[in-house]
Amino acid sequence: MANSIYNQKNVLNTEILSNLLIKYSKESEIRKWDMGASSSKDISVQVQQGNAKQLKGSQRNSMTLRVWNSNNQVGITSTSDLTSEGIKKAMRGAIDASLFGNKKESPEFSPLAKAELKEIKSTISNTHSIDQLLSILKKAEKQLIDTHQSIDSVPYNGLNESYMERIYINSDGANRHMKLSQSSIYLYAKAEEKNKKPRSAGGIRINANLEKLDIESCITETSEKLISHLNYKSIETNKYLICFTPEAFLQLISAFSSMFNARSIIDGVSLMNEDSIGKQISVPNLNISDEGLHPENVGAFSFDGEGTPTQNIKLVKKGILSNLLHSEATARKFGVEPTGHAGLGAKVSVSPDWLVVSNSESELDKDESLSIKNTLKEYILIDELSAIHSGVKASQGSFSLPFDGWIVKDGKKTSIEAATVAGDILKVLNSIVKIEKEQIVTHQGISPYIWVDNMSITGEA
Amino acid sequence: MLTKHNENLLFHTFDVTLKPHIEDLLSLGKSAGADLIEVFLEKSDNISLLAEQDDISNVSPSFGIGAGIRVFLGKRDGFVSTNDLSKAGLLFALNQALGMLGLDIGSQNSETFDGLTDLKDFGMNKFNWLDNSPDLEESTLKLLTATKSLANKNKNLQVRKASYSRNWQEVLVAASDGVFARDIRLHQTVGINVIAQQDKNRSTSSRRYGSSGNPNDLRNWDIEKSAFDLNESAQKMLNAGYVEAGQMPVVLANKFGGVIFHEACGHLLETTQLERGTSPFHNSINKQIAHSCVSAVDEGFSNHAFGSLSMDDEGMEPQNTLLIENGILKKFLSDRAGSLRTGHPRTGSGRRQNFSFAAASRMRNTYIKQGNFTPEELIKSVDNGLYCKSMGGGSVGPTGQFNFSVEEGYLIKNGKLSKPVKGATLIGEAKEILPRISMCANDLDLAAGFCGSVSGSVNVTVGQPHIKVDSITVGGR
Repeated sequence: MANSIYNQKNVLNTEILSNLLIKYSKESEIRKWDMGASSSKDISVQVQQGNAKQLKGSQRNSMTLRVWNSNNQVGITSTSDLTSEGIKKAMRGAIDASLFGNKKESPEFSPLAKAELKEIKSTISNTHSIDQLLSILKKAEKQLIDTHQSIDSVPYNGLNESYMERIYINSDGANRHMKLSQSSIYLYAKAEEKNKKPRSAGGIRINANLEKLDIESCITETSEKLISHLNYKSIETNKYLICFTPEAFLQLISAFSSMFNARSIIDGVSLMNEDSIGKQISVPNLNISDEGLHPENVGAFSFDGEGTPTQNIKLVKKGILSNLLHSEATARKFGVEPTGHAGLGAKVSVSPDWLVVSNSESELDKDESLSIKNTLKEYILIDELSAIHSGVKASQGSFSLPFDGWIVKDGKKTSIEAATVAGDILKVLNSIVKIEKEQIVTHQGISPYIWVDNMSITGEA
Repeated sequence: MLTKHNENLLFHTFDVTLKPHIEDLLSLGKSAGADLIEVFLEKSDNISLLAEQDDISNVSPSFGIGAGIRVFLGKRDGFVSTNDLSKAGLLFALNQALGMLGLDIGSQNSETFDGLTDLKDFGMNKFNWLDNSPDLEESTLKLLTATKSLANKNKNLQVRKASYSRNWQEVLVAASDGVFARDIRLHQTVGINVIAQQDKNRSTSSRRYGSSGNPNDLRNWDIEKSAFDLNESAQKMLNAGYVEAGQMPVVLANKFGGVIFHEACGHLLETTQLERGTSPFHNSINKQIAHSCVSAVDEGFSNHAFGSLSMDDEGMEPQNTLLIENGILKKFLSDRAGSLRTGHPRTGSGRRQNFSFAAASRMRNTYIKQGNFTPEELIKSVDNGLYCKSMGGGSVGPTGQFNFSVEEGYLIKNGKLSKPVKGATLIGEAKEILPRISMCANDLDLAAGFCGSVSGSVNVTVGQPHIKVDSITVGGR
């Protein structure tokens, strides 16, 4: 295919890598090691008013090597230099680092590093040329601008196609390898009307296959949102009934995911502690799970950084904290099995894959007067939270975040000029007044609309 | 690369011997019809360390190599990055970048390439920076001293962390307009953070310090002073109540208080924003955009400042760029592509996180100049307002709306500092806030930080004296 930078062959050669590591580890008298490596190839395009703006391609490789010295201290090194010289240097670096490894807490191989993997149906899509990507994005930009006379540009946009490969091998014979493809489009448009402030809104779509990327719905969503923000007003600082869109609720829960993270609990930076399992942390009709294996999770890998199979884990069941996310080291400390959420390091990080929020049958959900489709009460609809990196104090539970949204009265939506929402996550989880039934798939997880009463909003009126 | 049978390490040594080989690449690009080709080669050698409580919990060295090749044709450009620094790998990347613009290495046209200039070697006297930096033993001991010092300050510091990162980078830039330059960079940062706990109250507090081009930076770190300052902040905020939301005057402290200017104004003065048509200041050169007390610069010179450079990532020496003078907009920050697309001359501001990003116009050391008032005079001028002693992070939206969090704040009542408050967020819009900066004190100071944008995360310095903003929206409870 013209201009394609890809072939379908594996970039990472497990056998060569493994043989080199065996050779260098023997030379250095290292008996135990493991290694994670990844490779990616991608192309992306941006356009501006019908013209190509920036065209990018990359071929990237990296590996992280972990070694255990004779005192069982762990050292690691990462490198993007995958020549034999680069790997030799990485081995030396890891051995040097191991002299400073934490003697009180050493990671081990995951007991599940050779366990059977759950099958993930990841088909590798056909590649496309830069010209094809440009043509698709130019068309999408024009179509979006043409939806309304006030939309003057799409200043942030991009269409990307990427291929990723990941391996994990260790000196005990574990050997994991997986490839996937992913395409994404984002459109962030700007509109301006006379004597009014410029307004903006965006949308994003991800799919394993460029040809199945739902570009039409991305255009429609972006346009509808932006048009709805053209007529805006300031709101008064007050307490309001809030409805979080699925995207916004997932943003909020993700920002406080240290609640479910065993590593954070051990480190004392979580709102939970080692005795929190089995405790009620929210209203009894809330379920939260982490489902890396969910078929809608496009970027799913079948194993984590330690080679542990990816698993679906129920975190909150009927409001009760039921399970945590674990690496090998945290699982060993808690006396459970690793859950497939680990990175690879001397101190291994833990993170969620794909959060899924749902409701349990409860009296709380029978209030038919609260529904995104037919509520007549006045409420604030929060569509998207901003500045999460600076406005969330995860270890304290507090947040104060700007948001995009609307004030809704008698079913009529009016955009809010600028406002922030503030609160405490545990209070939010216990002030939920309705979890709608319909679950909506977003690019970052799945959630229904969630209603919370009495939240603090700062407006400019 | 391990997929290749014959490894070629020719491009792994960045010196003048590469000149003919890079000229070959550039000639191929020119003869294919490109207006300009730029090759950026990079090697990195980094260490990051973490001490938690009384142990070293993480030692992470990392090494990297890579190249970014950018091709311009008219106002368009194609950019390809790769880890494969063999000649074949670079040729492949060049061909891909040309192909993005419809060009092909095989084609011939009359475009000529006059060759590279003599190597401008900004790294010549920096060859020993890496060896002179603290080794792992010295660095880990320093971090453990820091967490121990924090432990000695107060027993209620439940979490004590100290981190150190050393980033060494060697870069070579060559372009078909003759640019041929090499540099070595050394950036070091230390961070400390704590969680204080008393009964059910918790407070978090953190500080970060950073330098460029100073191998002795970690050695000279005044741990006691930092630990004292951090503990004092955590203790004061432990029992702070939530701030009441509303519109009010605020006084922003110096140093990291400059993040408001960085976010609210600095980004909008980058040609990257002009290209997108999202800067409200696009046609405001020589117009009043701020209060007349405000003058601001962006420069790459300050000795050992985190955002200082010997050359930018396009091989150009940095400048002292006067952005605003007495409230009047004077200049934008521009890189090669920005200059091409907007007409604003380059300012030595083309920066990128690493080889995998194309350079873009980015800030370096950016600050509001100092005025004549004392900080006390600013506080005295406020009846009811907020003093922001320490700022958290912030961000700016595509049309200039900004927000940033206040890590340590105090109410101002009748011209005096009152009780500590938490949970404050400052929100506003650049165009509206700049005219409301009505007083600048005489205590300019700088602080190190990281700025994330289109060309990745780069080291920057923010700064200002104490300033007073007459009215701003404070988000709270």
